[in-house]
Amino acid sequence: MATLFDAHDVEIAWCPGCGNFGILQALKETLDELGYRPQDVVVVSGIGQAAKAPHYLRVNVFNGLHGRSIPVAFAIKAIRPELLVIAESGDGCMYGEGGNHLLHAIRRNPDITVLVHNNQVYGLTKGQASPTSGEGFRSKAQPWGNLSRPLNPLSLAISQGAGLVARAFAGDKEGLKGILKEALNFRGFALVDILQPCVTFNPVNTYAWYRERVYYLGEDHNPEDQIAAFQKSLEWGDRIPLGVFYRNPQPTYEMKVEGRAKKRRNLFEEEEFQRVLQEEFAQFL
Amino acid sequence: MVDVTLKVGGAAGQGVQTVSEVLSLILARHGYYVFSIEDYQSRIRGGHTFTLLRVAEQWVSGGKGALDILVCLDEATYHLHRGEVKEGGVILGKTGNEAPGEDVRLLPLDFEGVALRLGNRVFANMVATGAVLAILGIGLEEAREYVRETFARKGPEIVAKNEEALEEGTRLVEASGLSSSPFLGGHQNPSRVSRRYLISGNEALGLGALLAGCTFYSAYPMTPSTGILNFLASRAEAYGLIVEQAEDEIAAINMAIGASYAGARAMTGTSGGGFCLMCEGLGLAAMTETPIVVIDAQRPGPSTGLPTRTAQGDLLFVLHASHDEFPRFVFAPRDPQEALNTVIRAFNLAEKYQVPAIILSDQYLADTRWSYDRLSCEERPIRPSLSWDGASPYRRYALTPDGISPRLFPGGEALVVADSDEHDERGHLTEDLALRKAMQEKRMRKLEVMRKEMRLPFVLEGKDATLIGWGSTWGVLLEVRKALGQKGKSIGVVHFSDLYPLPEGLRDFLKRFPNPVVVEQNFSGQLATLLEQETLLPFPKRICRYDGLPFLVEELVEQVAEVL
Repeated sequence: MATLFDAHDVEIAWCPGCGNFGILQALKETLDELGYRPQDVVVVSGIGQAAKAPHYLRVNVFNGLHGRSIPVAFAIKAIRPELLVIAESGDGCMYGEGGNHLLHAIRRNPDITVLVHNNQVYGLTKGQASPTSGEGFRSKAQPWGNLSRPLNPLSLAISQGAGLVARAFAGDKEGLKGILKEALNFRGFALVDILQPCVTFNPVNTYAWYRERVYYLGEDHNPEDQIAAFQKSLEWGDRIPLGVFYRNPQPTYEMKVEGRAKKRRNLFEEEEFQRVLQEEFAQFL
Repeated sequence: MVDVTLKVGGAAGQGVQTVSEVLSLILARHGYYVFSIEDYQSRIRGGHTFTLLRVAEQWVSGGKGALDILVCLDEATYHLHRGEVKEGGVILGKTGNEAPGEDVRLLPLDFEGVALRLGNRVFANMVATGAVLAILGIGLEEAREYVRETFARKGPEIVAKNEEALEEGTRLVEASGLSSSPFLGGHQNPSRVSRRYLISGNEALGLGALLAGCTFYSAYPMTPSTGILNFLASRAEAYGLIVEQAEDEIAAINMAIGASYAGARAMTGTSGGGFCLMCEGLGLAAMTETPIVVIDAQRPGPSTGLPTRTAQGDLLFVLHASHDEFPRFVFAPRDPQEALNTVIRAFNLAEKYQVPAIILSDQYLADTRWSYDRLSCEERPIRPSLSWDGASPYRRYALTPDGISPRLFPGGEALVVADSDEHDERGHLTEDLALRKAMQEKRMRKLEVMRKEMRLPFVLEGKDATLIGWGSTWGVLLEVRKALGQKGKSIGVVHFSDLYPLPEGLRDFLKRFPNPVVVEQNFSGQLATLLEQETLLPFPKRICRYDGLPFLVEELVEQVAEVL
């Protein structure tokens, strides 16, 4: 389906069949259906195959450093709260290199949406274990099998009282769009962990593997209940829940500093500059 | 001419800084010139900390080592510093029984005991302040006004107790007979025209950012840069700034870059170790051509080094920081007055050339309070040059003759695409290597235009030798020139505040100065090395101090005399 967000003249550098395609299409359609204009959207990313996604969208783009998309997105939103700000990258970028920024963004609660393409492997560097790879996952860098346990990003975010915590699956576009809509409409920090098969380097977690296991949280799940959400986040194996696990509306960072924009002085005007100068110099007399 | 040096020492947490700050303020309000240097340890309580305070009728720009008055808030201060007290000097407070010299007077005073009689140990600072003012011969009017201003919020009882503490301190000195020949002459300062301005480097750097129109400051607390964070935080609500304490320096610089991309004037500040973490972000600012200002308040390293001491060891580091090559500005303001102008210039030039601008401060500049007749601000913030005709498709990184491409903020009609990867003119990542070459040339082209913005060093001529320095050593070099001048030596000073790119014509400019001696607070003489590289002139005479302490006048006079 054609959308306002379709980029032209770009060569997509993803492998044929990559889960990234499904996420890209779902995001374009969601933004379109929510009525955004490309000019009002900024997508910030890090480094990796997933981090190339903003280039394949018709939006404002800040493709920054590996792991550093969240601080950039936070600051853009703080300065321009009227823009829709999305940080989008892979599991290595968001949970590995940038893990610390994720923790502290949860505390700040900026009104940004973080989309993590989670394929449980480093694709661009050709197949090493990622923070979400299963124990025993073998690669050239871990020929003995991954010795570490996988990070559970949902449990982490829920335990810290993040604004909205969800999991989606790249292989179900409509389901993914529904979750993206909830996340983008949510006022506050929203984390969407998107399960995404890597057709080249992850022979275990394939489309078929996921399809056999995923199911959507039903009406009986209360996303306002942190303990229930946490309990659900621990479920992984034969059955993998998808949907909005947790929802914790709270004042955003931008709300807390809302009054400040109006107080900024126009220092480009000489009279105003002089006023500020004299007020300040008097403080040092 | 009155020129008195006093040292207030004690354990961290005892109020050394409070006593010296109050004294500095009161003396500046009396029209004296004040110069105060802070020396403290990396701890919250205990240890040893002191402030060196110079009070004079003439403008002073450096600290002296020989003391007229030593104020001991604890006995350790007496043992550590009594040897620094010169003839005719006084030691007061928790003194021992032995005077270090025949002509040094001891005045044992129990500041804390008096404070406890007044009801609380916290009044000890005001008892000490009152005592020192009496020894100096300064009346209590300004001190009382200070107490009323500062403690009004805490209620009339606290104000009254503090005033009483001041009076008690004065009375103790009067009872000893020491106030009969006060250090400041027992008369009003004859050159007293008005109050003097009193400002530290960190305050000036913060003020410069405020005046430059900075609306976003992100930093991780790190001595000695934290004062900038505190200053801007104190102004955030009044002026509508976003001041954010980041989780680390990596986040701090990335936040500043994001804010700048979104349209704010943005700055971050740290010390050398934090700057190490910012190197990656510095490259990001360069690659995305996003203007930011970064302050590195230097301290001795490597690694954690000496957290609370001073150094100028990061010059060559910041010149080359982050991988590969890109243009950047590097400034090192010489004093608080210049610092506030430097920050505005750094913001303007970063904006104009879409590059990072680095300001080198250090613990000495950061914490030292200078006094001035007046403060001035010649620089004005320039408006962002958002230039796009709206007709052709917008290209953020258009290849232009001077390398400067049209910058826009997101949220307007054109989409703004920035990329840390090598990119095409639109900002999308590319692996077209011919385009990569063109982009690197475009970025590097800016350097030659940037060079034209840089100013030649500050100059005072001298026939016998020329002291060459940069950044915070300017003031002490002036003092050394004056002191050696009184001994019949003609000493010149050439002092750099604009460090990179170095200004045009520097080789011919530097050739004319006789007998150059480069004075720096690092091990190898980094400015000397840089000047040799850039001008192919030799600078073999180098005076380097790297023990973490600032140059004081007398010692540097001796060191310079040795190499003449």
